[in-house]
Amino acid sequence: MDILLFRLYGPMASWGEIAVGESRHTANYPSKSAVLGLIGAALGIERDDEVIQSRLQQGYALAVEVLSAGQLLRDYHTAQVPDSVGKFTYRTRRDELVLGKERIRLGGTILSSREYRSDALALVAVRALADAPFSLGQIREKLLRPVFHLYLGRKSCPLAAPLHPQLLIDQASFLAAFKAYRHQSLLPTGQSSDGQPSERDCYWLGISGERHYFWEGAPEDFSDSLDLTRRQTRIRHDQPLSRKRWQFVPRQEHYFYQAGE
Amino acid sequence: MSRFIQLHLLTAYPPANLNRDDQGSPKTAKMGGYDRLRVSSQCLKRTWRTSDLFQTAMSDHLGARTKLLGIDVYNQFIAGEVKEKDAREWTKAIAGVFGALKKPEKDKPLAELEIEQLVHVSPAEQQAIEVLTAKLIEEQRAPEKDELNLLRLNEQAVDIALFGRMLASSPAFNIEAACQVAHAISVHPVVIEDDYFTAIDDLNKGLEDMGAAHIGETRFAAGLFYAYICINRELLIKNLGGNTQLAARAIRALTEAAVKVAPEGKQNSFASRAYASYVLAEKGDQQPRSLSVAYLKPINHRDNEDFINDAIKALIQQKESFDAVYDDCADRRYELNVSARQGTMAGLLDFVS
Repeated sequence: MDILLFRLYGPMASWGEIAVGESRHTANYPSKSAVLGLIGAALGIERDDEVIQSRLQQGYALAVEVLSAGQLLRDYHTAQVPDSVGKFTYRTRRDELVLGKERIRLGGTILSSREYRSDALALVAVRALADAPFSLGQIREKLLRPVFHLYLGRKSCPLAAPLHPQLLIDQASFLAAFKAYRHQSLLPTGQSSDGQPSERDCYWLGISGERHYFWEGAPEDFSDSLDLTRRQTRIRHDQPLSRKRWQFVPRQEHYFYQAGE
Repeated sequence: MSRFIQLHLLTAYPPANLNRDDQGSPKTAKMGGYDRLRVSSQCLKRTWRTSDLFQTAMSDHLGARTKLLGIDVYNQFIAGEVKEKDAREWTKAIAGVFGALKKPEKDKPLAELEIEQLVHVSPAEQQAIEVLTAKLIEEQRAPEKDELNLLRLNEQAVDIALFGRMLASSPAFNIEAACQVAHAISVHPVVIEDDYFTAIDDLNKGLEDMGAAHIGETRFAAGLFYAYICINRELLIKNLGGNTQLAARAIRALTEAAVKVAPEGKQNSFASRAYASYVLAEKGDQQPRSLSVAYLKPINHRDNEDFINDAIKALIQQKESFDAVYDDCADRRYELNVSARQGTMAGLLDFVS
């Protein structure tokens, strides 16, 4: 199978979990909804274009290799809103906060606790399914010259390195593709890359030999040689269903942990 | 035409508490395994969006600050032989677009035409008010809702086009923000310090009750911050209905605010306002990327004597490494380097717009 791989790195990332109120949790690896959102943004798909959104959601299978899960960061976030006043309409945020200053009540302040992962690095692998609306080659081109902003789960988490997308043809499995990916160092090393994560990156991002793998599809899509009986199969609620209704459905995902040497 | 405009800023703040967490302590983040000082993206956007500088930069020329906008309009209506009652109602409609009006007062008949607070009215807005007033006098009719909405349309459009919709405003303006702002993170490790302070009661002679009248604790830290902004110019133009001139003005205003305006947090205690020491602006269609990784290995006092220059060096080296490996990550660049006296604010604004 053909697989498109790219790197996700930024000092902060937030892979939203189910959140209904004040606590906005993050997972410790990229969610499918976030990765599809990133691809959609690169392609220039509008948020409210339900038709193409749903084709994008159904068209691809993902796998993730976590090199560094990073550390948890909790951000205390407040947002102030003034009470309305007579017929007057606040037309800008400045109106709300400057003209409406006296009318910002304690109860009008919205509190939330937002989680992030800092120093996280992951590789994403994308496989096109039968009814994929865009070829992996088209996606690769757009990742290099995106239409909208790309980010790691939240708009305030920009990418801090090129995605360095690579389209690998005829791979035996996701694992084979992850192993074949040519890594480039994030930090300057003064040497050309040998295709492996550089020692400097590993030191500063705390990357050890251990890897976490997540993938969807059949267990053997991941590897045809490893003993996968140790894998865990679980359900994650990150398969987008409708952007308009902000709805997600559960999907099945496999998890495999590989300890370092 | 370049789609993305990226701004990389290095700004040094003296001891400050610009953006607090729920404990009142400056916000932090770990990067490269070390604690860094952090100012959240939300805090930065709020600061710029509500700043006087952003508003005046948007209007090109200094406008007026006034509460008396309505009185002026009312007098014109009266001079234009509009009936007193109509003049009063129409004036309230026009002035009410700029701010909430005062309550009526018995012995001051015109009080209800005044705006509660000082508001900023740009020259363009003043002109629009004059044109509308003259038109209403000529046609002897009340202003329509659409005409009133037009008075502040540009200001409203720019705010929402750049930063996205407001919390309370109508969902009709549900727009994708054309500006992306990262959390600003210090380039060096930081230890938050505690300032234990006391205040004495000047009139307490200490005969009976010795000691302080108040004790408190303030946490603070100083930092050299790396901030990153990415503006999607094409999306901004689209959000502004194709008005490229307005988009250019919005980008200039945002850039100037980002360079010059400091977050308001605890400014009265620390007076920590600062301008950016270094700005790198980039234009291109290439995938935008911040250069924060330049500081993954922190700038620290053991290896680095001159924080600002070493931070600039690290940033440039990171940019060049990315360019060498992935081909040029931008088509054109402009640098503002204060310590090297390189570049000017005017040059930077012309470059970005």
